[in-house]
Amino acid sequence: MKLALLALTLVVAACNPILSVESPAPPGRSARMDEVKNFWGLQYYRMELSTGVALALTCTAPSPCEHMKVVSDDPAIVEVRLASLGVLQKNPWGQSSQQTSAALVVVGKAAGRTTVRVTSKDGDRDIHITVIPSPS
Amino acid sequence: MWFLLGLSACGTAGALHQTTLMGQCATDDAACSRRHPVAPIAVGARFHPEVEADLAGSTTPNLRLESAASDVLAVEGDALVAKKAGASAVLITTDDGSVVDFVHMWVAPITTISLARRDGDRLTGDVGLAVGEDLVIAPALWHDAQRLAGEADLAWTSSNPAALEIMRDGSTDRRRLRARTPGKTTITVALGETKASIDVEVLP
Repeated sequence: MKLALLALTLVVAACNPILSVESPAPPGRSARMDEVKNFWGLQYYRMELSTGVALALTCTAPSPCEHMKVVSDDPAIVEVRLASLGVLQKNPWGQSSQQTSAALVVVGKAAGRTTVRVTSKDGDRDIHITVIPSPS
Repeated sequence: MWFLLGLSACGTAGALHQTTLMGQCATDDAACSRRHPVAPIAVGARFHPEVEADLAGSTTPNLRLESAASDVLAVEGDALVAKKAGASAVLITTDDGSVVDFVHMWVAPITTISLARRDGDRLTGDVGLAVGEDLVIAPALWHDAQRLAGEADLAWTSSNPAALEIMRDGSTDRRRLRARTPGKTTITVALGETKASIDVEVLP
């Protein structure tokens, strides 16, 4: 029973979307995202962002996420928008299936911590974000 | 092919490589202060951007600009207005708020003003003009050795307005100097405490 539960958990975790960074950080500012994993695999993402900086991400599961929605717990700290990225992405498991990328842009508005929640038909992911003040 | 792309790539490409942001300048206007979109914008200056999109299978949709940090760089009408030193992402969005691209832009304080002829040739010494002759002068804004972008509301003064008249020429920052009567004058261009000046002698 425990083994079956473990297998089910691994399968569910493996099916959740993967987020990838699609834009560089500007000079002297912070914009990076890292995976936070435990024994069961990827749990969530952590991101460090400077105020005034934007970072683009794509969502795949493994083809571009379907019906993606994005919400910031505190839009005064982090604003999040859907993005129109005119790039086709192939499903690595499908021979002919390719779809337009599912993308989002995260913007650091004010120093603080909050969470951005990415939901889609293919599963959900949280990004725990720390916004740091930009040097004056 | 790449050479042709290089010739046309005179603006700043967005982080998602879908748009190019450039200043609104005539192609033969060497002194246009809006020509430098890759440079930081001077504090207090306005920059009028032009955005071109390169989207596969689509012409450019209706686009809007939004600033990530409006205390650093604000969007006011069709201009970006530099408020204080720093950096801000400028989001290029469609009408429904979907982000097509973004560019990180910098704002820097002005440390020096230089003066140049309209062809870009920098004025470093005294100038002589015959009565009736014109000279168009364009100021350039600098942060140390770096040329800044944007148009600032500079104050122009002449120590002898009877000898040399300062006229507007349709641009916010450029001025046309017209020699009226023989004499010597000093033209000063100032933005706050930062000043530049040239001595002009009008000859009969």
